[in-house]
Amino acid sequence: MFENTLDNYAHSNNLTNLNPYFKILLGISTMIVSLVSTSPVIPIVIALFMSILIIFKAKISWNFYLKFFFIPFGFGLLTFFFMAVFFGVGSPILELGLFNLTVTVDGFNLGFLVFTRMLGGFTCLAFIALTTPMTELFSVLELVKIPKILLELAMLMYRYIFVLLDEAINMYHTQETRLGYSSLKKSIKSMGMLGSNLFIRTWLKGEQTYIAMESRCYDGSIKTLKKNEDIKDIGTRNLAGLILFEIILVLGVYFTGNYGVLIL
Amino acid sequence: MHIMEGFLPWQWCLFWYLIAIPVVVYGITRIKKITDKNPETKPLLAVSGAFMFVLSSLKLPSVTGSCSHPTGNGLGAVLFGPAVASVLATIVLIFQAILLAHGGITTLGANIFSMGIVGPVAAWLVYKGIKKIGWGSSIGIFFAALLGDWLTYVTTATQLSLAFPIPTFGEAFIKFMVIFAYTQVPLAIVEGLLTVVIFEYIMQLRPDILRKLRVIGSEKAQDSPEKVLEVV
Repeated sequence: MFENTLDNYAHSNNLTNLNPYFKILLGISTMIVSLVSTSPVIPIVIALFMSILIIFKAKISWNFYLKFFFIPFGFGLLTFFFMAVFFGVGSPILELGLFNLTVTVDGFNLGFLVFTRMLGGFTCLAFIALTTPMTELFSVLELVKIPKILLELAMLMYRYIFVLLDEAINMYHTQETRLGYSSLKKSIKSMGMLGSNLFIRTWLKGEQTYIAMESRCYDGSIKTLKKNEDIKDIGTRNLAGLILFEIILVLGVYFTGNYGVLIL
Repeated sequence: MHIMEGFLPWQWCLFWYLIAIPVVVYGITRIKKITDKNPETKPLLAVSGAFMFVLSSLKLPSVTGSCSHPTGNGLGAVLFGPAVASVLATIVLIFQAILLAHGGITTLGANIFSMGIVGPVAAWLVYKGIKKIGWGSSIGIFFAALLGDWLTYVTTATQLSLAFPIPTFGEAFIKFMVIFAYTQVPLAIVEGLLTVVIFEYIMQLRPDILRKLRVIGSEKAQDSPEKVLEVV
């Protein structure tokens, strides 16, 4: 339950050392194309392309990726059914024979479009999450002029998330071995104990961190050493490829227009 | 409730970003003022944010069969005030998107609005209101977490039905609310109870922290939350 952070994968895949600006530019711009698409064709292409990149280029184990992909896929499918049944005003094409529920053409098309957009967007997000370590993301965020204080808070938080997760996992396992989660009432009590203890530990950690920082000449700003990767290091070939790819996708969006799966 | 990546049409993504950003910027200026005056609050705020993230990754086996997790927003808002809590929630949401693939980047604005702004503000107002009537802190915390949660879901349902007003906004809203009501009403009650348990244990074990934050005790409990952190 705690182990599924993507951080391990972000630090050890075949694309880790690729220029972070390039990866993020690719992820975000493709995500936007998927979002503005008005037909399900291009989002499906994007989802396939990104999945291929993740499995074959970044060499993330497909076993893990499929498991990871299953959650949004299931949720998307649920949304699809929900929209197909409840969000139609046009002519019914299928009687469910239950509570007078019917599937309509426009509801079906809308549901399918949203479903594919979710898959397209999710694979782009997964691409960024699985290939780019957080530390590199911070340096990219610095470039787009995110306030410094926010970045410093985020960096400190990032560090402490893992410290606290370790403690939370330990506490959780100890409670579980003592049957702390055997019923709903016990679960609430155990989790409450866990939460409060964690908060107190957190507080102590915060105070100690301040002392440690102050003894190392902390003057209100945190200075870090950065890898000197530059946005210019993307390389013309990569950049040209990226632009060409996005142009093809945008053209695809333009030509597929409002094409739906069902036309009546 | 996170809205998934790609769920909202782009116009609405932009709209919620434009609404969320000024509030977060306001929160950032407050935090900047606090940390400039008392540099020791910076690590404390950071670990509290990390705490919110870890709390949200704890999964609670729930009555409806699905898994739910506490949001920690109610607690954060009561402890630190809504402005600070909204900034922390924003960072937590970014981390959830990138470390856990919960939520998303294009829907970040909408998620910040429902979970980082409406939830904490509601929780904080409810807590202050109940304190003013003179009921106990525990009751206040329970209703703060409960109503904070419910209002978050109402906001999410509003956002979804604004994005898909088919056939009309009202009808879509009712559909989304019915679906949420089945799962989220009991979940919010569980979270409310959980928050009370957490709060009471903290009160038992380290009441001095709460006193420092002026959540309990001292007459000046009505002080603005920013002052609270300055004292720490």
